[in-house]
Amino acid sequence: MSDTATAATHDDHAHHDHKPTGWKRWVYSTNHKDIGTMYITLAVISAILGMGASMAIRLELAVPGIQFITDTQFYNVLVTAHGFLMVFFVVMPTLIGGFGNWFIPLMIGTPDMAFPRMNNISFWLLAGGFILLVLSGFVQGGAGTGWTVYPPLSNADYHPTPAVDFAILSLHLAGASSILGAINFITTIINMRAPGMTFHRMPLFIWASLITAFLLLLAIPVLAGALTMLLTDRNFGTTFFDPSGGGDPIFWQHLFWFFGHPEVYIMIVPAFGVVSQVVSTFSKKPIFGYLGMAYAMASIGVVGFVVWAHHMFTVGFNVETRIYFVLATMVIAVPTGIKIFSWLATMWGGSIEFKTPMLYAMGFIFLFVVGGVTGITLANAGVDIAFHDTYFVIAHFHYVLSIATIYGIFCGMFYWLPKMCGNMYDETLGQWQFWITFIGVNVLFFPQHFLGMAGMPRRIPDYPDAYAGWNLVSSIGGAISLVGALLFLYILWKTIVSGEKAPANPWGEGATTLEWTVDSPAPFHTHEQIPEIPEEEHGEKVYVSPGAK
Amino acid sequence: MIKKTTFQQKINYQKRGTALVLFSLVAGMVGLAFASEPLYRIFCQVTGYAGTTQVAASVPKSNEVLKRIVAVRFDANVNSKMPWSFRPVQREIKVRLGEQALAYFEATNDSDQPLVGTASFNVTPYKAAIHFNKIDCFCFTQQVLKPGQTMKMPVTFFIDPELAKDSGVDDLRTITLSYTFFQDDDQSAVEKLAAKRIDAKDGVNSKKAVTSRNG
Repeated sequence: MSDTATAATHDDHAHHDHKPTGWKRWVYSTNHKDIGTMYITLAVISAILGMGASMAIRLELAVPGIQFITDTQFYNVLVTAHGFLMVFFVVMPTLIGGFGNWFIPLMIGTPDMAFPRMNNISFWLLAGGFILLVLSGFVQGGAGTGWTVYPPLSNADYHPTPAVDFAILSLHLAGASSILGAINFITTIINMRAPGMTFHRMPLFIWASLITAFLLLLAIPVLAGALTMLLTDRNFGTTFFDPSGGGDPIFWQHLFWFFGHPEVYIMIVPAFGVVSQVVSTFSKKPIFGYLGMAYAMASIGVVGFVVWAHHMFTVGFNVETRIYFVLATMVIAVPTGIKIFSWLATMWGGSIEFKTPMLYAMGFIFLFVVGGVTGITLANAGVDIAFHDTYFVIAHFHYVLSIATIYGIFCGMFYWLPKMCGNMYDETLGQWQFWITFIGVNVLFFPQHFLGMAGMPRRIPDYPDAYAGWNLVSSIGGAISLVGALLFLYILWKTIVSGEKAPANPWGEGATTLEWTVDSPAPFHTHEQIPEIPEEEHGEKVYVSPGAK
Repeated sequence: MIKKTTFQQKINYQKRGTALVLFSLVAGMVGLAFASEPLYRIFCQVTGYAGTTQVAASVPKSNEVLKRIVAVRFDANVNSKMPWSFRPVQREIKVRLGEQALAYFEATNDSDQPLVGTASFNVTPYKAAIHFNKIDCFCFTQQVLKPGQTMKMPVTFFIDPELAKDSGVDDLRTITLSYTFFQDDDQSAVEKLAAKRIDAKDGVNSKKAVTSRNG
């Protein structure tokens, strides 16, 4: 970057593993590992808040009638906060900011990100966004718009207080953070790979991060533009989304979903990357169909930009438009199928070790298939008109987005925890945690398919008695999931304070990527000597970087 | 200062180049997001999306009037902040394809001050909008009503005979033309228009105050 940064790097060569101390180490940090750790820490805090909101929702919905949320706007605020927190402050910071920052430089064999100071501002913008979002909950009634922020509900008539403005500015900051982070990721991956690591030999997690970063670059500016228009509609009398001045609320839906659909791939593609690494490691085989896997992710990303209107089938498109969006959406099943079958083929004939990360990877595949199948159901415009805004949609997107993605996060956490903190987690506790969570989330979300098919609408704090049974089951599943989440926090704490010391490579011969060639925990400065990637090893062409010494 | 190696210089140069391309990509997408507003409007006007009706100067001379009859229903609404009442004079008229028709709406200002309003409009089903042509409409202009004044407002329209050739609307028997009156933010037309129409009691509004709204 600048001359001083280069000088500092050289200085560090002299005093090996010299690092700043105290608060300056974190606040001024330009170190990709420290920044990654801060992202994950922020995500854990947001996850506690976001899960708190969802537990309050499930508690309210356990039985018919209004239990304790007497202010229905407060219910809307909980729903909104849960969505915003989980999407922008849990899933994205962990999978992209956390794992991406930690492992992109480690896996491609470079000392740090391309622009370490920009990396710092990316994190602190996100932290600012988080603070604004929390503040919005305390401003006069809060933002009860849902994460989709549809006008007219979100305009000044129905949300007159600044709470929605706080939420909008919060998303602006989170968006700016993501854009800067994405530019950093792409620049790093394109320019700073170790000699010998061609694009077609990068680990799949790197491919996933690269594709995700491009999706962020193309999608987030559209959200930023739409949010700015909403902000001026609310405060400065413009009428982008207001029919009284010639605007159109449907226009918001187009803009939002042009961002929103790529956004769902932004959340799931990094999880694809993590799961690919883990499946390969614990099957002790290179990933099956490496190139197909990489290009499947790329094509999911590309097609993801031209299917947005399948979120809007009820707004009254003509038949031709609906046919196009149905077909384009269904096309995504093809690359997704390539991924699923390639993971299965990687496991096929492998010497599989069922350690916790592998359980989570297999759980991810199962949950993603279930969510994908209901996705195909909803992709049909005719069916979708019946299921629109019901719990069937809730069940579908929680299977793919929340629990499958969270499984990707748990998978990566257990897989990389030894590298990040230097200690091994307790395998028995880890497997307990997996099974408790697996049972919990399925009991929580599977019955919501039945509720949705019976017509239960989403975002309503009360429901007719006919929906009582499965709602109670669902809430019990929520309680089981809570036990799983608390157990995870306990495991995290226990591993950090009293875990067994981990070797550089705790996973054995299957772990071939470069992060396992450095010590555990990864030293403050790594890959100061840039590793060389051989083209062949044991007479076989190497795709994923091998365990170079 | 430590001298940079040429390798580092090359990498730094490449990094800057990549970042520059990526930043311009972001700038382009932001531009596209804002450009989408006029593009969306034009797209709706051209294709009849979201029930946007078409505008014609008159019924084309070559127009043939077909036997097929479509019922046009009328729907009138006011925005919650607009203290007017607004209703169609007739609920429904049946027109032949290609035949010019005239319908009236009636609005009353229930408040105690003169108000400027503009009506937004669309037709359902949306797929009929591309064939629905307005020749003249009170919705093309701002309307001013004095306190307590009631005014009849006309709309002249025809349905394009091309509709008969559109297989997507084979099932079409009824089109609903809907209006919603909103209070204008710009109330300056109150004095201007009220002066002009001082003797045009109950009459049709002046077409002089044409705003840029059409289609």
